[in-house]
Amino acid sequence: MVVGIRIHGRGGQGAVTASRLLATAAYYDGKFSQAIPMYGTERRGAPVTAYVRVDDVRVRERELVHTPEIVMVLDPLLSTRQTMADDMAEGGLLLLNAAYPPEEVKTGGNIRVATVNATNIALETLRRPITNTAILGAFAKAVGWPKLESIEKAIRKQFSGRIADMNVEAIKRSYDECSEVIPAPVKIAGESEAIAVGGYGVLKDVSSWRVFQPVIDMDKCTGCKNCWIYCPETAIKWTDENKPEIEWRKCKGCGICVNECPVGAIEFKRVEIKNE
Amino acid sequence: MDELTITPGSACQGCGAALAARLAFKALGPNTIRHGVPCCPDSATMTPRGGGGVFEGGGAALTGTWRALKAKGITDVQVVGFFGDGGTYDIGLQGISAAAERNENIWVITKDNEAYMNTGNQRSSSTPLYAMTSTTPVGSVIKGKQTGKKNIPMIFAAHHVPFVATASVGYPEDLIAKIEYGKTLTGFKMLIIQSPCPVGWRYDPAKTIEVARSAVQTGIWPLYEITDGEKFKLTYKPRELKPVTEYYKPQARFRHVTDEQLAGIQEDTTKNWEKLLKSDELGQLLI
Repeated sequence: MVVGIRIHGRGGQGAVTASRLLATAAYYDGKFSQAIPMYGTERRGAPVTAYVRVDDVRVRERELVHTPEIVMVLDPLLSTRQTMADDMAEGGLLLLNAAYPPEEVKTGGNIRVATVNATNIALETLRRPITNTAILGAFAKAVGWPKLESIEKAIRKQFSGRIADMNVEAIKRSYDECSEVIPAPVKIAGESEAIAVGGYGVLKDVSSWRVFQPVIDMDKCTGCKNCWIYCPETAIKWTDENKPEIEWRKCKGCGICVNECPVGAIEFKRVEIKNE
Repeated sequence: MDELTITPGSACQGCGAALAARLAFKALGPNTIRHGVPCCPDSATMTPRGGGGVFEGGGAALTGTWRALKAKGITDVQVVGFFGDGGTYDIGLQGISAAAERNENIWVITKDNEAYMNTGNQRSSSTPLYAMTSTTPVGSVIKGKQTGKKNIPMIFAAHHVPFVATASVGYPEDLIAKIEYGKTLTGFKMLIIQSPCPVGWRYDPAKTIEVARSAVQTGIWPLYEITDGEKFKLTYKPRELKPVTEYYKPQARFRHVTDEQLAGIQEDTTKNWEKLLKSDELGQLLI
């Protein structure tokens, strides 16, 4: 039977690579598969979608997956959105990158849910928040296919050397750390909101782009204005007390201010995701 | 000086071009009309007054805007083209060259990120030697781009226009000072700003300024200004240049570059720097 998979992520997390790896792994399992990237303006940080279709017989469709049986979310903030479960098939599986157990998932509907803390795994194995391989292992555990060896083979085809080793470690850890699959605790789906991609100025809020955020130690700050002049997004305002103040709506979490502070007064801290 | 770019834009984290636009328009002031082309600078940054065009039409659109203003008797407006390296080095070169030859009273500001980054890192004629891009990949035989970077500031200096300068996002004071000076001149003005791209050059977004600064300190991207096509002035003169490895090593697009190739680059850079130093001493451009 044909299985449709939708992958949500942000530019830079490797949603398109995840779709390709998954399709390749399913092919090594002896199935027929398709990876479908959706092209838009996929700059770093913007929400990205990719699709995979797997079947036991040759796949003849050439369109996007409209009612996916499985949805995989690579980003912890996107994971809290009801929109992720939109148009899912009844009883479908929603696999989220989240720091909390599936019992606390607020996304509702007649679906099953599972969670894995892929950002943590990615930071520990790859040392950067690229969560695509760190969630594929969990996919294999929660869904039951493809075989872990097939994913490993697909990774070794895509990457080589040290990078391949790190990614293989990431899938193994995520396979072990994936939660149980349970029916969604919330039965009735809430209202889903559109994910804003475009917009400028006051319409735009990029605070969801951050994995790390700058935290300023005001006692250490000498008021040199280095962070202010080098911020590409004018996210740093200068207060009357001659101190910087971050406008969180504009901060993308690039870390330039942290790197440029001559006295080391700015620290880069991991953003805590609230499960609302 | 007010902030004129509308932020946050949709640039990637740590975008050098977004910073270049912010600094440039801050210095240009609110009395500015901007033209752009559909590439990184336009999709990544927005300013209040502006229009879009096509890559080939950059020079023509600027000329038209300036001539229309002149016909209406408005002469205190800065007409600015904010292009990428594709719009200046490659596709838009003919139109901008023609505008420079006619000495139109316009600005051409280029944020040079050394490839077509908006569409996914395809090589341009601004891409430096050996750099890996998606159209000059590292294979088993040919590794990276095999030709060097086009020297566009010198090409425009040869047009004998009032003002041609280079700048870097690592040196904001220098960048702003050059624009302030250019604003006092009438005629064709060009400023090329090197703006690192963390996605295409493959380094950590936090290091954008560090990379930009090391390009200047190693002599890869010297900061200078040329007035009337002959008067030459280096605006950043370190007592001693740093070795080029400091610029090449942090960027993964140069990961495959061998030590012999680096030695060759070092030799070329030193030679070029000595020539610039000599020009600076004479105050006159030696080509």
